[in-house]
Amino acid sequence: MMPSFYQLLKKIIQTGIGASRLIMAAGGLGIAMILLLIAIQAHTDFDQLLNNQQNANESADFLVINKKITNAMMGQNAKSEFTPAEIADLQKQPFTEAFGFITSNQYKVTAAAPGDLHFYTDMFFESVPDSFIDVKNDEWKWAPGDNTIPIILPNDFLNLYNFGFALSQGLPQISQETVKALPMKVTISQGLMTQEFTGRIVGFSDRISSFLVPVSFMDWANGKFGTGQAASPSRVIIKTKDPSNPVLAEYLKDKGYTTNQDKIKYSKTKRIVQIIVSVIGFFGVILLVFALLVFSMFIQLVIASCKKEIQLLVTLGTAPRQLQRYLMRQFVPLYIAIGIVALLLVAGLQWWASVQLAAHEVFISKWIAVSTGCAALLVVVLVYIVNRVNVRKYINAIS
Amino acid sequence: MSMAVATAMDIFHLEKALYWDIIKNTSFMQIQLDNLVPVPLRDKILQRSSDIWNRPVTFTPGSFTKIKAPSGTGKTTLVHYLYHIRTDYTGQVLVNGQPWASYSKGAIAGMRQEQISVIFQDLRIFEQLTALENIELKRVMNAQPYCSAEKVKEMAARLNVTHVLNQSGRTLSYGERQRVAIIRALVQPFQWLIMDEPFSHLDEDNANRAAQLIAEECKARKAGFILTDLDNDTRFAYDTYYNL
Repeated sequence: MMPSFYQLLKKIIQTGIGASRLIMAAGGLGIAMILLLIAIQAHTDFDQLLNNQQNANESADFLVINKKITNAMMGQNAKSEFTPAEIADLQKQPFTEAFGFITSNQYKVTAAAPGDLHFYTDMFFESVPDSFIDVKNDEWKWAPGDNTIPIILPNDFLNLYNFGFALSQGLPQISQETVKALPMKVTISQGLMTQEFTGRIVGFSDRISSFLVPVSFMDWANGKFGTGQAASPSRVIIKTKDPSNPVLAEYLKDKGYTTNQDKIKYSKTKRIVQIIVSVIGFFGVILLVFALLVFSMFIQLVIASCKKEIQLLVTLGTAPRQLQRYLMRQFVPLYIAIGIVALLLVAGLQWWASVQLAAHEVFISKWIAVSTGCAALLVVVLVYIVNRVNVRKYINAIS
Repeated sequence: MSMAVATAMDIFHLEKALYWDIIKNTSFMQIQLDNLVPVPLRDKILQRSSDIWNRPVTFTPGSFTKIKAPSGTGKTTLVHYLYHIRTDYTGQVLVNGQPWASYSKGAIAGMRQEQISVIFQDLRIFEQLTALENIELKRVMNAQPYCSAEKVKEMAARLNVTHVLNQSGRTLSYGERQRVAIIRALVQPFQWLIMDEPFSHLDEDNANRAAQLIAEECKARKAGFILTDLDNDTRFAYDTYYNL
């Protein structure tokens, strides 16, 4: 069996000369890669963790935002309204996926319980676009001429009544089904104009703390009973992918807006994790640069030590490209091996971490993220390209 | 990863194909000299007349050319200029009408694999390879070798070096190295064979065997050669004589 061209080149171009440098470069590359992959994986895991805890079923969250009522503002209702400029600014923020107004009633509303319950109260309505409502119900619709208004109550309201008011006053506690079954007499009025409706509770919302009616009813009633002027909203609702986004928390704080603080409480933790992950990633990048430098020195040494041999090969007609390909063939399996080992290590670490955390009821994926795999591939390709450029440069310099 | 490698290989093949176009479009590789004068020998050469230096010369493709050159007239220098491994001259060496310097490294490598072959006076054998590996290196450098491994054995037998084929290049005598270098030059396709005192280390019998083999191989390729030597000789049926 005759040796191939590359086998003969192997006898002529000894790559063993810089073994210690090669080991250093390979070790550096391996550690750099592990750090980078851990940074990316940790980032992914933390994201996943937050999203899982907060919305089991949904990938987005809804925040009702209003201006903070301060002592200075009291008695001046207009100061709590959002100006069009403020609304436009909020809408163009990167964390705002969808945006809706909460529209208030511009008329008086009273509600009375039917029969002998002797329940009578002044109340208010608000409406938001349907896509922001977490109650999906066929009865949630209204058209002019309908005598029945569907109403959504906040879940908290029923809880307050059942566990706060009813218990202390000796009144009966009411189930959700009962409330839904009870028709209410709703009267809306403005001055001398009045109209009576039957109100029917169709659901309970955890998302929006207000008495909600369909937008179609609100528009009709505000048109007929209202002042005719569209009032500026003082509460808005946004849909956001990640309520723990530190940018969002920072924005609300800067503008003096408030929302359900519970929903954004993770933003501080997230910022700390981001800093740690960035530091790890930064060291990974620095180490990668050094590994590339050592690789470059190794390639220079190998080529310089075989200068005479390479020159004779070129004299005999070996194309510089053939030499480049031969040298790259010596290195590429090493990069791929390093990439695979680093990926396996990080995968092992991820699996171990998921088992450890599962014992504390914290669940992260057992497998590494796609982005981590892509990053490993990217680093290998980067190293390949940089080394190829080096090989070409040094070979051209002596041939 | 494999994508990147594949792309690099594609480019390599593409360029190789381009060389092939250049080669195939040129039926004969033409070598011309245009007032060539080596810088280190300038004063010495301008004092006397020469058939080669400082004048236009066209080597006829396919012709057997002998350049007789006494010591110190720049014989080896000329060979190195013709093969483009030295460039310290004024004037030009033109290949297919273009100066050597206008060709890229890749294109020059392609020509050295397909169109022009060389036997150096200092032989230039890789000492870390065996005699046979030295020849093989040249043979398999081309993706499609021009001649078979059997043909190499046959040539080695004709030049009486079969017994040293597996010997390290380091231990070969000058005569053996010279014969290995001759075989190495003959395993590739060429249109021109450049030889610098190719028989200097051979006895009469081996020199004649080598000359006969070279002549046969040139004829088989319809190739010409340029041979430089110190004295007159009748080993080949030369078409052209020059005095350096």
